[in-house]
Amino acid sequence: MEKIIEILINGLSTGVIYALLALGFVLIFKSTGIINFAQGELAMVGAFICYSFAMLMNFPYVLAVLIALAIGALLGGVIDLLFFRRMVGEPMFSTIVVTVGLASIVTCVSGLIWGHDVYSIQSPFTDKTVAIGNLVVSQGALYTIGLSIVLIALFIVFFNRSLLGIAMRGAAEDPDIAGLMGVNVNKIHVAAWAIGTMVAVLAGIFLAEQSFVRLSMSHTGIKAMAAAILGGMESIGGAILGGIIVGVVEGFAANYLSGMELGNFHFGDIKDVAAFAIMIIVLMIRPHGIFGKEKVERV
Amino acid sequence: MGGSLKVSYREDMGLLQTLWVKVWLGILLLLLLIAPYLLSRYQLSILNEMGIAVIGAVGLNLLTGYTGQISLGQAAFVAIGAYTSGILTGKAGIPFPLSLPLSGLMAAGLGLIVGIPSLRLKGLYLALGTLAFGFIVEYIIFHWDLTQGDMGMAVKTITFGDFSIKSERQYFYLIASLAVLAIICAKNLARSKIGRCFVAIRDRDIAAEVMGISLAKYKIMAFGVSAFYAGVAGCLMAHYQQWIVPGNFDISLSIAYIAMIIVGGLGTILGSVLGAIMITGIPHWITYLTDVFKESYPAFSGLIVDLKLGIFGLIIVLTLLFEPQGLFGIYRRVKLYWKTWPYKY
Repeated sequence: MEKIIEILINGLSTGVIYALLALGFVLIFKSTGIINFAQGELAMVGAFICYSFAMLMNFPYVLAVLIALAIGALLGGVIDLLFFRRMVGEPMFSTIVVTVGLASIVTCVSGLIWGHDVYSIQSPFTDKTVAIGNLVVSQGALYTIGLSIVLIALFIVFFNRSLLGIAMRGAAEDPDIAGLMGVNVNKIHVAAWAIGTMVAVLAGIFLAEQSFVRLSMSHTGIKAMAAAILGGMESIGGAILGGIIVGVVEGFAANYLSGMELGNFHFGDIKDVAAFAIMIIVLMIRPHGIFGKEKVERV
Repeated sequence: MGGSLKVSYREDMGLLQTLWVKVWLGILLLLLLIAPYLLSRYQLSILNEMGIAVIGAVGLNLLTGYTGQISLGQAAFVAIGAYTSGILTGKAGIPFPLSLPLSGLMAAGLGLIVGIPSLRLKGLYLALGTLAFGFIVEYIIFHWDLTQGDMGMAVKTITFGDFSIKSERQYFYLIASLAVLAIICAKNLARSKIGRCFVAIRDRDIAAEVMGISLAKYKIMAFGVSAFYAGVAGCLMAHYQQWIVPGNFDISLSIAYIAMIIVGGLGTILGSVLGAIMITGIPHWITYLTDVFKESYPAFSGLIVDLKLGIFGLIIVLTLLFEPQGLFGIYRRVKLYWKTWPYKY
């Protein structure tokens, strides 16, 4: 029983990271209509920037995180201005492939700057644990879960209550009409990319807290996409639930399936494909996710 | 418009439309025939790589360019072809002439299965589904004893009875003839009813269905054909490299294939050929350039591995932003310009 609770809590702490990444993903999708395949890469860059400031330049941890967030927001804005300003209204294929190209550019540049080594960030929570009864949980995990819940709540309020949030939803629904209604669509897009990248950067830093900083951490982005799909691309609540489901399932898979063998097939690190397996199953059964609504196409 | 006058449907559908096309193709074929005697071994090896890439890219263009179904999992089908042929020739002792079509069929069979969800999925969802498929295939290859995972697998040389293919030159003739065959098949497919159905589905799937085109049949067929091409390309790649590891077939290969068809031009056979040649050539050109600078900047030579993927990404982005028609679009524009010169049109 205790083991299960421990797995649940650890799964939850990776799950909220997926949820955060999926949130940034849904945010950009909801306001610009672009599916950002580079989300994981942006998270990786954020973690690397935080690492550079915290470990190489000896800035205090919190300051390093804030600097990384600021640079992330800037990066997002620049990406929108450089690449996606001229892509508005292009077919989905082009925008998807542009983000895929962007992802490989970001990976390449980060590889040139930081190399292929594995680093870790020393944060105030590293190697500290909390004992609740018989359970031993790392402080970082609790902290990640707590902060993510606060952030997610903020986002829900932002999208439903604030003027900018509502304008963003409007701009995604129909950029032309939103423009006629007095929404500055270009500004909205820059803001969405900035916020979306900032969320990704934060997720990257949380992820670095739980494991390491390295180039391959960008694969998390695709798992987060699995989470977003699971919940339905349009829904923030869905993205969060999807992220948590993916995280918890991964935790159970890693604990119970990893060592198994089936004939001459070793399950090994099955954790890494669990998300994709779930995604394919969901896509087969409910292509629009748990909360997504089927879009009626007009001819 | 500078086009030629056609008086019958037969003429309009013809494979070789004008005399000049025939002449140029003849010259190209002649060049292909004598190329092995003019080029060095290294240059031939680049051409061989390009030939294999052409087969895969033509297949992907049939799916993505003609039918409009995004696939980010082409590398998975290449891997399936490569490992099928490797296992069939190595462990089951099946000769190459049989294992080549079989590896294509194996990939096509799995392609049909991946095609089934495409009936319900569009755009983003399909891209993600195929991406996930790619990761799962990579995972299976890593963890299955049959494929020997990380250790990699040795693949036998190609033999036809007693005759075995060893030199770069022999490989060139085999790969080039298969690539030409692949291009002719694709060209014929594209101008037949099936090809027109593909294009109709791409342009507006609902309208296509209303016109009586069975979406299910043709979408799945497109996946199958595309996977078959990828499987054949994988089989050739395996026998050509004689050593395959799962790392050969990761996401970056899928991205390279996407780059090929985008750079070349979506929905054109000539475009996929041009794109395959260019994208395969770029790393070699960079190596060539860095070799020149190696004396003065030794750090350059190691960069190629890092740079390759980034340059592909940059090419994809720039092409889509500035020349969405790709190389084929540039070719058509230049041709039109000279045909109508000195008039504008």
